Amino acid sequence: MGYLFPDPHPISMDCREFSEKHLAFVDDTLAGIELVRMQRHTAECDTCARQDAKVRRALLLFRNLPPIEPSTGFSDRLEARLQEAHQNDLLLETTRVNLKRGVLAATFATLASALMLAYIGNTLYQTEVARDVVMPPVVAIATEPDLAPITTSTPAIVASASAGLTIWPVALFAEEAPVQFAHSRFEMAKLDR
Amino acid sequence: MADIVRKKVVSVEGATVRERLQAMDDSAVVTAFLGGEERAFSELVTRYQTRLLNFVYRTIGDREKAEDLVQEVFIRVYRHLHRFDRSKKFSTWVYTIASNLAKNELRNRSRNPLVLFQTVQKNFQDEDRPLQFEDTTSRPDDMYRKRHLREVVEESVAKLPEHHRHVFVLRELEGKSYEEIAEITECNLGTVKSRLNRARNSFAEIIAPYVD
Repeated sequence: MGYLFPDPHPISMDCREFSEKHLAFVDDTLAGIELVRMQRHTAECDTCARQDAKVRRALLLFRNLPPIEPSTGFSDRLEARLQEAHQNDLLLETTRVNLKRGVLAATFATLASALMLAYIGNTLYQTEVARDVVMPPVVAIATEPDLAPITTSTPAIVASASAGLTIWPVALFAEEAPVQFAHSRFEMAKLDR
Repeated sequence: MADIVRKKVVSVEGATVRERLQAMDDSAVVTAFLGGEERAFSELVTRYQTRLLNFVYRTIGDREKAEDLVQEVFIRVYRHLHRFDRSKKFSTWVYTIASNLAKNELRNRSRNPLVLFQTVQKNFQDEDRPLQFEDTTSRPDDMYRKRHLREVVEESVAKLPEHHRHVFVLRELEGKSYEEIAEITECNLGTVKSRLNRARNSFAEIIAPYVD
């Protein structure tokens, strides 16, 4: 039956598997059976045994390095730096608050300016529009004034000249012609004098 | 007299608060700080300053810069703690900040090739490094050997590629779990394991000639 169902954890191990599991082997985190297989491999394989010993010895040296201690002024310097950081934080906070106020004020001012500009622009635009308005053409209709007929007792005499004459003799004739007002009222006024 | 009594009471209160804070876990300390207890922040600094300093120093290799970066970590923590998601681990968050700062530092340094990891580290080794860890009762040749070994180890770590070193330090020095490393480095679990395995093997190869 054994050969039909091979053991999932054969006791022997090759060097590749040993190398893969060496980390856990050194850290002592392998399960019991794995640990036994690793130990057996080190007993059988000189190369892996040497490598294992080399790593363990090196780690021992490193782990036993003496720890260094902070220098004598370390705490004082840290204290000073913490104070400084605290002050800076406070300053930063104050600046941030002031900045926030400033930003608010600036936003408000900008908004107000924008509104004002918009209003002015709007007004100007409307004026311009008014100038450019093209009204539909309107046909002007003017009724001819009714000329009242001259109602004088004596008909008016109007100097006239035929169109065939030159202008200056006409003017001479006009001077010599008896002057009579076309309107009777004026005539009346002359008579009164 | 009244002043003396008042001072005594305040100092006793302070001591009690400190003791109380020390007994709390990180999450409770963070809550206390956010609740207005300023001393809670000092407790967080005390808990993490050395760990973070070692982590950053092993990652970037410059002691002075590492201290600056750790201070920067604490300043960021102080400023942004109110944004910290308290359903997560504080240590992971703080290491993520440190890790990002260290990465940025390395990136900036790679843009300015005049500052090299090894150069910085060597300068530090000789002058600034405290020597308390060296056993003064040891013989001079032992002390020399230990110092030399430490230098070799640090130089070997420095030779690892940046993304391998990052994972390596978090795991081997800080003892972080794979999952935490994945979260800190923003990589998936498979990548973390692969990088760690490569980093371990590379480190062993680099250091082997010096220790054999």
